[in-house]
Amino acid sequence: MTMAEPAVNPLRTGMRLNRAADPCAVVVFGATGDLTARKLMPALYNLARERLLPGGFSVVGFARRDWTDEQFRAAMKEGVTKFSREPLQEELWESFARGLHYVSGTFDDAQAYAKLAERLAKQDIAHGAAGNRLFYLATPPDAYAMIAQRLGEAQLATPQAGNWTRLVVEKPFGRDLTSARALDQSIGNVFRERYIYRIDHYLGKETVQNIMVFRFGNGIFEPVWNRRYVDNVQVSVAETVGVEGRGGYYEESGALRDMVQNHLMQVLALVAMEPVASFRGDAVRDEKAKVFHAVKAIEDVGRDTVRAQYSAGAIMGAMVPGYREEQGVAPDSHTETYAAIKLEVENWRWSGVPFYLRVGKRLPKRATEVAITFKTAPLQLFRQMGGDNPTPNLLVLRIQPDEGISLRFGAKVPGTRSDVRPVNMDFRYGSSFGVEPPEAYERLLLDAMLGDSTLFTRWDGVEAAWELLTPVLDGWADGASPIKQYEAGSWGPDAARELIERDGREWHRM
Amino acid sequence: MASDVTGLERLEDRPITMSPAAIEEEFTRIWKETAAAGADEASVRLRTQNFVGVGPETWTVERFERVMESLPQRHPCRSVLAVISPERSGLESSISAHCWRTAAGGRHVCSEEVILKAGPADEHALASTVLALLVPELPLNVWVIGPVVLDSHVASELIEGADIVFVDTADAPDVAAALRAALIAHRKHNVAVCDLAWRRLAVWRSLIAQFFDGDDGARRLSQLRAIEITGGGAVSSEMLLMGGWFISRLGLSLAEAERDNTSLTATLYDGSRGVTLTLKGGPEQAAAITEVKVRTSEAEFIVQAHAESGHMHVREEWPGDSDHRTVAQVPTDDASVVAEALDDASDLPIFIEAAEAAVDLLRN
Ligand SMILES: NC(=O)c1ccc[n+]([C@@H]2O[C@H](COP(=O)([O-])OP(=O)(O)OC[C@H]3O[C@@H](n4cnc5c(N)ncnc54)[C@H](OP(=O)(O)O)[C@@H]3O)[C@@H](O)[C@H]2O)c1
Repeated sequence: MTMAEPAVNPLRTGMRLNRAADPCAVVVFGATGDLTARKLMPALYNLARERLLPGGFSVVGFARRDWTDEQFRAAMKEGVTKFSREPLQEELWESFARGLHYVSGTFDDAQAYAKLAERLAKQDIAHGAAGNRLFYLATPPDAYAMIAQRLGEAQLATPQAGNWTRLVVEKPFGRDLTSARALDQSIGNVFRERYIYRIDHYLGKETVQNIMVFRFGNGIFEPVWNRRYVDNVQVSVAETVGVEGRGGYYEESGALRDMVQNHLMQVLALVAMEPVASFRGDAVRDEKAKVFHAVKAIEDVGRDTVRAQYSAGAIMGAMVPGYREEQGVAPDSHTETYAAIKLEVENWRWSGVPFYLRVGKRLPKRATEVAITFKTAPLQLFRQMGGDNPTPNLLVLRIQPDEGISLRFGAKVPGTRSDVRPVNMDFRYGSSFGVEPPEAYERLLLDAMLGDSTLFTRWDGVEAAWELLTPVLDGWADGASPIKQYEAGSWGPDAARELIERDGREWHRM
Repeated sequence: MASDVTGLERLEDRPITMSPAAIEEEFTRIWKETAAAGADEASVRLRTQNFVGVGPETWTVERFERVMESLPQRHPCRSVLAVISPERSGLESSISAHCWRTAAGGRHVCSEEVILKAGPADEHALASTVLALLVPELPLNVWVIGPVVLDSHVASELIEGADIVFVDTADAPDVAAALRAALIAHRKHNVAVCDLAWRRLAVWRSLIAQFFDGDDGARRLSQLRAIEITGGGAVSSEMLLMGGWFISRLGLSLAEAERDNTSLTATLYDGSRGVTLTLKGGPEQAAAITEVKVRTSEAEFIVQAHAESGHMHVREEWPGDSDHRTVAQVPTDDASVVAEALDDASDLPIFIEAAEAAVDLLRN
């Protein structure tokens, strides 16, 4: 099927957004859950107040609880009041809430989907949603396949001529390669790949998108962005929080599944990928997929990976319990709250440059960074202050909390001698642009409504990441790299330090 | 130097008066002093543009200062205000700093401001001083404040090298003359002109455009019958530019226009089909635009500003059916409008076409 280009609206010429989202109904499965109240509803409300949603927009919540439309609206109002980045304004809320509806049912109940279909048809007339649908799976992951299947059976997955139907899937997409493939197949039976939008909310973050702007919007970095000049790349995500009452959920997942397989791998791909010729269609996702396929399989899980759990300790002076003492966690749990891993991207640009990834909970501070260490100058002409080793140039792309870029280089200490001291040139987006970036979910929901899938993950990327990391999970299950402990408030286990020091390098200090 | 306050603190406290020749030196000294005092929190000087205000003293100082209270937070700058007053002789200058704490805390970020005041005989000295104070390699944005006079010596010297020239045609007693002056400056100096009156319409334009997205929208536009723009007072530059925007974007041609003190009615043609454009003034105290209504042969599309709540109502009226929603208005103070325009200047060529059509409306 070829898609006709939408008609050009002459009144849009010169406007930043070249079209508004089509009128549509967003159907949220799991609408009484935490994600809906905390992220989805505040994002939709803010899009509406900022005039980015079309007339004829509506939401249908679907979950088990036997709620009425009114109860749903009241619960959503509470969520928006609590979590929205902009305070709720009564009149704007009233206008938005008129479009909120609720259907109750269980995910396996065919009757409930018939009820949903009826409701949507009614709304098409009342709100002019024109038959366009965005189904959002904000449910426990084991329900994804069932919901897709039931949507198919109820004829809800196939749009009427001239309309569209899209499916947004939350993370995690599978727990390993086998389950991800099975899930892909079940969903793929009902929805074609181009209509599936897999959320990785990291990609919706302004500063993650900035990695591309930084690389491809500036001429001076690309020439040194390769194995000739780069010594190593480190991607680090440090959290101070523990499992925050979600111990049961975390036990089933762990740091590798929860963070590395999706967020860190996506950031790695943005750092390592080749330049794109345009941002249209699949260009970015094609380049990212090539990176994933170029990552060398981990041969020695015991040598190149580390996993660990936090034990009791102190964060910012406050005592916190160890992971195994958290609610919902088994006293002999082997789930990792910290993971470090060494990867290599085997292509012409990166061959021989190690990529070190690390992520951990209950670390001393919250920070997400990409650190690129450059090779040192070939000759050491000047005396280094504070040690004999020349300090390499370091470029740090800080993603959170204080987004920015810093570059470390050597400068002459004033005086008659030629002594060199490292100095930092620091740029912070927050101070230069003084505007609040929108929440990641706002950008992603709007993109899904506009049909722009650039910031969503595609199946080949997800599959490649699982292909790479499933052997690590299997190796760990077989006892490779036994789980270590690290004290809450420290920078992780000694084994992680050893992993990088073995290569004559060290972790960048965050 | 024995002083218990750092240079920066003095600057923040009140402007310091000095001779124009000493300005750059004084800034350097103050920054050094601040660094040496090792203030508890770091202070950084940041600039991404030169922002220069020009105008008669009566109109200018307060308005520029109000903008400087917030603009540098989004667009850090070296700012210079150059004013002329008939009562003055000689050139007087003072400097100050605008500082704020970053969201992430810790740092103080500062923009520098220079104010130059001159008498009519010192116009040349004023112009050359401003030029000397511009930071090289950064964009130069010039705001001509008050009536749109773009051919004074200072204004034309600056416009010559400017990236964007800001004016506000709503300030001009003669809207047609102001729009014409803006168009002439654009052509003569090949510079982007941004009319604040035009930028205040941005939210209206985007809400109206939304009605006509997609295939359905194209059909609706082909059935266009009438456009009605209502606002406060007489026919304002905002109303004219809104009318001009419809005319230029939709490729309508003007057959005739009639106007009196508070209204203007024009007959436009789209091929063989007639479209009526009405601009209707109203109570003096109302906003420049309070309602825009677009009528097609099937439906009415309406955007209204609600003065008390500050919200906007967006309505579609179909036979036997209607849709209505309320959205937030965007701030229309000078600082917000200028900041938005600096963020995204892609609609400036559209402004030129709208302004040409607006001038045309007045000519008939
Ligand atoms: N929470 C977050 O911040 C977050 C962040 C990133 C990703 N995610 C992902 O988002 C998804 C949802 O997370 P969540 O935290 O919102 O979960 P949650 O709070 O447990 O909510 C689950 C929702 O699913 C509904 N539900 C569960 N089983 C059902 C069934 N058999 N039939 C009908 N409804 C059923 C629940 O309805 P009732 O309550 O009415 O039973 C509830 O609305 C998960 O995949 C999670 O991994 C969450």
